Amino acid sequence: MSDTVVSGPALAGREVRHEDGPRGAPFTPPKQGFLALKSHYSRKTLGTLALLGALSLFLAWEIGAHSVPEAKEKFFPAVEQVLAALFQLFAEKEFIYDVGMSCLRIYLAYIVAMSVALPLAIGMGSFENLRATLNPTLSALRYLPAASFIPLLLVWFGPTDTSKVLLLFLGVVWFLVAGMLADVRSVSHELVESALTMGARRKTVVFNVILPAAGPQLMTSARDLTAVAWTYLVIAEVIGAQSGIGAVMMRAGRFLNVDVIIAGILTIGILGVLTDTVFRLGHRMLFPWAR
Amino acid sequence: MAYAEVAMTDTDETQTAVDASKLPIYVDCVTKQYLGGAFTAIDNVTCAMEENQITAIIGPSGCGKTTLLRQIAGLEYPSYGRILRDGEVIHGPGPDRGMVFQTYTAFPWLTTLQNAEYAMKINGVPAAERRERAMEHLRLVHLDGFKDYYPNSLSGGMRQRVAIARALGQDPRVLLMDEPFGALDAQVRWEMEELTVEIEERTRKTIILVTHDIQQAIYVADRIIFLTRNPGRIKADMKLEFKEGRRFLKKEELITHPGYAETEAQLYGMMREEIEKIRGGE
Repeated sequence: MSDTVVSGPALAGREVRHEDGPRGAPFTPPKQGFLALKSHYSRKTLGTLALLGALSLFLAWEIGAHSVPEAKEKFFPAVEQVLAALFQLFAEKEFIYDVGMSCLRIYLAYIVAMSVALPLAIGMGSFENLRATLNPTLSALRYLPAASFIPLLLVWFGPTDTSKVLLLFLGVVWFLVAGMLADVRSVSHELVESALTMGARRKTVVFNVILPAAGPQLMTSARDLTAVAWTYLVIAEVIGAQSGIGAVMMRAGRFLNVDVIIAGILTIGILGVLTDTVFRLGHRMLFPWAR
Repeated sequence: MAYAEVAMTDTDETQTAVDASKLPIYVDCVTKQYLGGAFTAIDNVTCAMEENQITAIIGPSGCGKTTLLRQIAGLEYPSYGRILRDGEVIHGPGPDRGMVFQTYTAFPWLTTLQNAEYAMKINGVPAAERRERAMEHLRLVHLDGFKDYYPNSLSGGMRQRVAIARALGQDPRVLLMDEPFGALDAQVRWEMEELTVEIEERTRKTIILVTHDIQQAIYVADRIIFLTRNPGRIKADMKLEFKEGRRFLKKEELITHPGYAETEAQLYGMMREEIEKIRGGE
């Protein structure tokens, strides 16, 4: 009972030495429910939750497939049937060739779109008068549905790969321009001005300051639009294509092979996620300084 | 008393023959208007800045102190008048006038060392020489231990020191600082103020510091130019006589120096006058 510590004014001016005093009891924070606001979870927990989310989708699918009447089963195949169809596609139908053709078309179109969009965005983002000249027209082009060009492309190029790649290109390029222009324009003005006060010339400012400053955002914009490119891929291959994932799905539809159709959808989904992952890894490797 | 003795440029009355237009910076009857003449940010201001001298420009918010600095940098142009750098009219930004901004402008995609080398790189300094000089500047701003860090992993004060080292890299005749410590917390700001004095002691540059912080201006500067708001005119041009031509490497030594309190009170008084004028006018 000796030397009870008194809080408040009595302590003022006195030296408080915690290391000598009694240690406080361990503190137990209040228990959080499942939907805790702004909580921090470990990577492992987050990974488990993501897996649970994905599994529940497949589970719902499986339950759904098994609850349709037997006569209609063909129209709603279960997970294992689709996986079997997918395996068969690769093993017996040379599906890898179709996947390769689709990838070739989509990446070719994407590279062409990027090589048009990137210079336009950097030019318009760096020079106000260029933007004033080009951007109103380019913005308007965004409102022309790419699919509406299908008849025109078919008249000009027939059901060739050229028309497919062009459709994909038209589907993404104007959105790429808009997104990338916003990225370039969001580069802080002070970065440009500090380069100018160091004696940087115009070329140096554009390629050595604006471009690296916008780099990480540009790559994110490019990544976001790959999803749109996959959308147009199916449209492009549904119209008179001999090869490609979309063509395989169209043919399967004629014979009511729903399992093959769903296998195609699944394949596109997996390819999309893979592309996204490659972009993420590339982002981390190219821009180690960005957080 | 551990203050540094400095021989500042002699500007006694005996030497009034100095041609102001040949000084490092000569602001010659500069007027800067915006909104087609509706707002006068700077109204017919004339002043000169000497070598080996830190000039602080202070005044109420919106008094045009940053506008004046940006015109010296060449990032903006006067509406009337002209600004000379060593007798030559300024027509745009150049490496002879380095600038440190309030926002963090260290290039995030370059390491500390690459940032410190950047100005030299774009001005064609050979690789070996620029590395050596960059390291020298990093030692001066106490960042030599962080040469391979990216700015995003540094604190605000460190990022500003990177920006200062980078500006020193271009070996500027004039170093312009636009509220460079405004975004920093009080303790770091204080460290940076002492660092600025130390840099001036080592490099003897012409430094122009724009600030709204009266204590900072008194501590860092050798001379204070007080600007009024709308129109921006020079209300006072004070040589800080009480410092007796010395610079103090430690702030507490200056604060206890005779004459400090009076100077501070005088500047607060001037600031109050201006604020009341602005309140009354609007």
